[in-house]
Amino acid sequence: MLGPARNAEAGGQVAIGVTETIASYNPYADSISMGYAIWCQVYGCIGVYDHNKGDYVGMLAERWEVDKADNNIWTFHLKRGVKRQNDGKEFTAEDLVHSINRINNDPQSKQKQNVSPIKDVIALDNYTVKIVTKQPTASLLEFIFDRVIISAKDLYDKHGARDADRKYPWGWGPYKLKDLVIGQRIVLEKDTSHPNVRPENPDTLIYTIMREPEQRVTALLNNEIQIAQFIPPHLAERVKAASNVELQPASSVEIMFLAMSPKFKPWDNVKLRQAVCYAIDRDLIVKNVLKSQADRLDGPIGPGQYGYDPEYTKKNLIIAYDPAKARELVKASGYNNEPVFLDTPVGRYINDKEVTEAMVPMLNAVGINAKLRTPEWATLWSDVQRGRTPFYYMGRGSVVDPSVALSQYFETGGSPRIGISDPQIDKALAAERVTFDPVERKKALNVAFKAIEDAAPGCFMWRHHMLYGESKGIAHKPNPAGRIFGTEITVK
Amino acid sequence: MLRYLLGRIIATIPVVVLISLLVFLLIHAAPGDPADLLLSEEASPADIADARRRWGLDQPIYIQYLHFLTNIAAGDLGMSFRYADPVIGLIGQRLPATIELAIASLLIAIIIGVPLGVWAGAKPNSWADNLGSVFGFFGISMPSFWLGIMLILIISGYFNWLPSSGRSTYGVAQGLETGFYISHSLLSGNIKVAWDGIKYIIMPAIALGTGMMGLVMRVTRSSVLEIMSEDYVRTARAKGLDESTVLWRHVLRNALVPVITVVGLELGTLLSGSIIVETVFAWPGSGSLLISAIQSRDYPLITGTVLTYTIAFVAINFVIDILYALIDPRIRFGK
Repeated sequence: MLGPARNAEAGGQVAIGVTETIASYNPYADSISMGYAIWCQVYGCIGVYDHNKGDYVGMLAERWEVDKADNNIWTFHLKRGVKRQNDGKEFTAEDLVHSINRINNDPQSKQKQNVSPIKDVIALDNYTVKIVTKQPTASLLEFIFDRVIISAKDLYDKHGARDADRKYPWGWGPYKLKDLVIGQRIVLEKDTSHPNVRPENPDTLIYTIMREPEQRVTALLNNEIQIAQFIPPHLAERVKAASNVELQPASSVEIMFLAMSPKFKPWDNVKLRQAVCYAIDRDLIVKNVLKSQADRLDGPIGPGQYGYDPEYTKKNLIIAYDPAKARELVKASGYNNEPVFLDTPVGRYINDKEVTEAMVPMLNAVGINAKLRTPEWATLWSDVQRGRTPFYYMGRGSVVDPSVALSQYFETGGSPRIGISDPQIDKALAAERVTFDPVERKKALNVAFKAIEDAAPGCFMWRHHMLYGESKGIAHKPNPAGRIFGTEITVK
Repeated sequence: MLRYLLGRIIATIPVVVLISLLVFLLIHAAPGDPADLLLSEEASPADIADARRRWGLDQPIYIQYLHFLTNIAAGDLGMSFRYADPVIGLIGQRLPATIELAIASLLIAIIIGVPLGVWAGAKPNSWADNLGSVFGFFGISMPSFWLGIMLILIISGYFNWLPSSGRSTYGVAQGLETGFYISHSLLSGNIKVAWDGIKYIIMPAIALGTGMMGLVMRVTRSSVLEIMSEDYVRTARAKGLDESTVLWRHVLRNALVPVITVVGLELGTLLSGSIIVETVFAWPGSGSLLISAIQSRDYPLITGTVLTYTIAFVAINFVIDILYALIDPRIRFGK
């Protein structure tokens, strides 16, 4: 009589236990990773970052280029003949222009930051769009590629925002929105006529909200769901031990770091900041606290992220654990043993409290009188945003091209979060932004990495492995940015 | 009676206004800013300032509160920052799930707690009393979140008998996910859909109702013990009534007054307890809505949900007062 609800019966349906969800029918009213992935599949987006190729690939854009004479002008050539779900209307440039304008003007939009570098957007013809930036921005694709969701102008004009979003969520993506019960589930159905879908992709995708890890693991083992997002290390063994599922790790593009704000004493002293970086035995923490489910970061980014150069990193960016050197730097800094408080979120990142608990004695051992504080996330994040936290452990997600993230944390005026002002860092970051040749830009980025490491406003720690529990009935390689696309899932 | 009821209704208005002010002030005094939490981490200070302006957070707090009160007077609880939808509609979508869960928990508490309490009270210090007391103390001392996780691990994880979380199976719910799923299905004779809902509600209802069951059992036991020594019970026995008639007709009816008081008070606790249980079981009710609102400092949604809970609590107490009169005709109001 009794029995669990099985969402997966035949091969065509895949249920995914997710930790966050969209909160609105309006594709611009959320700014979360999962939301971008869902709406990109439904409406379509300009393109996505292919982590296997290490480059951007177009989805609704065919190709793009920057004007060599005026680096502020980008031209996007759109795909022709892309038909909309439900009514077959062709995708045109006016839809892209409308979407960028709506992101800027919709009172419910939480995505303005994605189009902040854009000064103007013009449809040159049905298939060509000119985007003019406020200043040369080599990392423009990072801002807009899979974050400008392309919704239909004609439906918006005809029905208004509310009805267009709720009653006519028709787009040019590979999946249609079948059902959305906010707070419970999102159901997508494959558009079999879409050129990007294959017969072996799931016919139906069900994103079910399961915030608690125990729920996700139990539901996975019971075959209620076929993919469970973010398995914490302590539950990994339970998944590994089961015969019907497997553990799939993906190195996240979220970079974890310790931040030290020079606006506050004693962190105005560069030697003390450098000492912190030498004092933390990251390998030991990765092995014992993170159960080897993380990759040590040498420099701000790691393999697969834009600008990573293994040779340059090996030569210039490795900061090895060296407590003796840390002690020397502490001594040279003139630090007077005043207490410093390391603030960490609890439960926001994998084992965040535990890793910082491990850091404190390491800091104490080199002569830094560190103590741990664990404020509630909302309090900590607001304080960080306003530059009120001197010393904290934090992650920065969605770092594919690191330009934006590094500018935000380490460039003068980027944000108050650390509040450093260092001419070398500013110069290096400004240089990479105006370097459009990919090879030269990667070199420029590495110069910026070095400048940041030398000034040490932050110590780069690791990138977590995002662990996904997956049914053996499907094949899916988790995406490092945490997006789950139906076109990347194969039902066996 | 009518005068008394009207008086009670009018008296709730200042209570609600005062609570709205308290909640409003408390949530605004709490550290953390909605714009920081709801915009992505890429947001610049200018983006954050823009969001604050759009949401009216750049206004002085008394202006914000006056605005809020004006809206309430017009039946509008404002727009949720996070969900970009009217608060009243969001609560309306989630409340049926919470009410259904509370009713199921209440049924579990009463159906198990009252007979256990009567059984234990009728035979003090017997094995029945001891067994009933074990159940009672188990229920009272068990934290609902822990019991919930244990149920998930054992009932779903080990035995695979029930779904681990959620409220309905996709494809079965037929658009009833945001309504009274089980009751509507039962009333419309759709047993398959109702059974789907029942499978999902069993574990959260046990987790939420067990504490109340323990309390109901203990209060019923004490009350039965007390009534058993009353003169009229002795008289009933002297008249030759059999023990079960004495117990169920004469003792229980009188013993129920304190039980109803406890149930009334505990109904409010069920609503607040549901906040935790809904999170553990991913139950899409107003409790989990409130948690997400607090985490993102969604001021209109927090205030709206707490006000709804307040009104529900006042209404429950109101109903309990009326029930007193029905159960015990000696009780009269307004005199």
